[in-house]
Amino acid sequence: MKIVAVTACPTGIAHTYMAAEALLIASKTLEIELRVETRGSVGAENELTDEEIQAADAVIVAADTSTPMERFAGKKVLEVSVKEAIKDPKGLIERAKTAPTYGKALVQQVDEIKTQKKSEQNSIYKHLMSGVSFMIPFVTAGGILIALSFAFGIEAFKQEGTLAAALMKIGGGNAFALMVPILAGYIAFSISDRPGLVPGMVAGMLASSLGAGFLGGILGGFLAGYTVNFLKKTIKLPKSMVGLMPVMILPVLSTLIVGLVMIYIIGGPVSAINTGLNNWLASLSGTNAGLLGLLLGLMMALDMGGPVNKAAYTFGVGTLAAGQPSAVMAAVMAAGMVPPLALALATVIAKNKFTKEEQEAGKAAWALGASFITEGAIPFAAADPVRVIPSIMAGSAITGAMSMIFNCGLAVPHGGLFVLVIPNAVTNLPMYLVSIVAGTLVAAGMLAILKTKK
Amino acid sequence: MIQELFTRELFMPSLEATTKQEAIEEMVAKLDQAGLLNDKTAYLQAVLHREAEYSTGIGMGVAIPHGKSGGVTTPGLVFARSQAGVDFDSMDDLPTFLFFLIAVPEESADTHLKVLSSLSRKLMHQDVRDALMKADSYDAIIQILE
Repeated sequence: MKIVAVTACPTGIAHTYMAAEALLIASKTLEIELRVETRGSVGAENELTDEEIQAADAVIVAADTSTPMERFAGKKVLEVSVKEAIKDPKGLIERAKTAPTYGKALVQQVDEIKTQKKSEQNSIYKHLMSGVSFMIPFVTAGGILIALSFAFGIEAFKQEGTLAAALMKIGGGNAFALMVPILAGYIAFSISDRPGLVPGMVAGMLASSLGAGFLGGILGGFLAGYTVNFLKKTIKLPKSMVGLMPVMILPVLSTLIVGLVMIYIIGGPVSAINTGLNNWLASLSGTNAGLLGLLLGLMMALDMGGPVNKAAYTFGVGTLAAGQPSAVMAAVMAAGMVPPLALALATVIAKNKFTKEEQEAGKAAWALGASFITEGAIPFAAADPVRVIPSIMAGSAITGAMSMIFNCGLAVPHGGLFVLVIPNAVTNLPMYLVSIVAGTLVAAGMLAILKTKK
Repeated sequence: MIQELFTRELFMPSLEATTKQEAIEEMVAKLDQAGLLNDKTAYLQAVLHREAEYSTGIGMGVAIPHGKSGGVTTPGLVFARSQAGVDFDSMDDLPTFLFFLIAVPEESADTHLKVLSSLSRKLMHQDVRDALMKADSYDAIIQILE
């Protein structure tokens, strides 16, 4: 037998608490599980959670001031004056067991439960968006700073002590390094509030260092959030130790669990994918050029910074012989430029299908795409992976294939459009640009069709 | 903490009053003497107003009259005992022996309110009430309420 109660009195100094205590004393002798929320002059204390209310067999409201009642709809509710709880707490508990049901008609209740279920489904989207919106400024700040570093020359950052090196360190080494931790952290924050932030950010950090990219980070964020919620529900501590929950137990336990899962369950397959793909790509060299370009394009756009993208990029860099243009490297870079460019274009041609925030991020995405900072597309992909990722994969695949077929070549491993200022860095430049534009148009077109209106 | 609100001079080991009105006035006068009030009448009105809603005589020999008023400068409480018992219009219609008169300003710190709420909770326990009835000094009472 579980009962929840609320006590409240006019001044909120004495009776609220006497009534609460009287009910607790009575519940002990009657061996009933009782939780009491007090609404005195200090405000509501020991507030009942929705879960507790749902689990209760009956509700006692011993109050002489108005208290929020909607939350008890559909429950057996006994409403009395606060003094009755002091006078006859045992009697109240007995009467509560057979109290009339509070609130709306059954049909209405069923309807409400249905809409609630729906909003729970949407809440996964809400959690995702919360992480994405916190991440966007990191992507923009980091990406633009990297692009600025390229403006000094695409190899300029290798010169230690220069402003270009500093910009690369700020943008690439730090702002970008925070991107996935922030994404994962705020997904978890949205699910389980403040305690979610620690395991979420740590999971995101691990996703980065394990090479699991933003998809690994999303997984980690959800894992962290729901782990915290689960721990909150299952760990029951004596009252004297409840204070330890938020400062000690939740952060340590949740981070431990989530961290171990990331390393042993997510980390293993990720590195296997990486080596597997590397070997597979190596075995492909020499096959049909167009097909190879197509595959590389698909890979570049699939997880943007995750294991698949890394494998494609590493393969591309591996084909660079000192100073000699490589067709594979050209295809890889062109394909990597398409996702942010396509999204930037899509936010212009299909404005109504992007949020205000995304439209703003779209402006920065132009610069990021032009600089071969594929990560510029991550916020969009994270917010709506099912529609965005296939679109940009298609675009990147076309670009990669075209670049290979036109036998374009690239002599440096990064830089985006900044490579154009280096003499002879790109071979067959006109067709290279055509390839990039074609893939961008296709991907943006698909986005405009597939995305739903906001 | 309770000593901050319930100082030595606010202990009244034997109340002279025989009626509810007298008991309240006698205790309010004590608060005033101790310098906790700047408007005695306003505070008394607040207490009586609260009693008019329904008696704070909660039965079991205990009454806990209280008022929140701008007439209070410093939060505090009087603990008084009546040997003969007073008819406080109690919920169980029995005489009252133990009185806690609480004074709280309009704006009061949560820490004080929490002390008062835990005091209220304690009074619901039989052993606490028995001990309060027997306690022979201010210090003994502090020990019980601590």
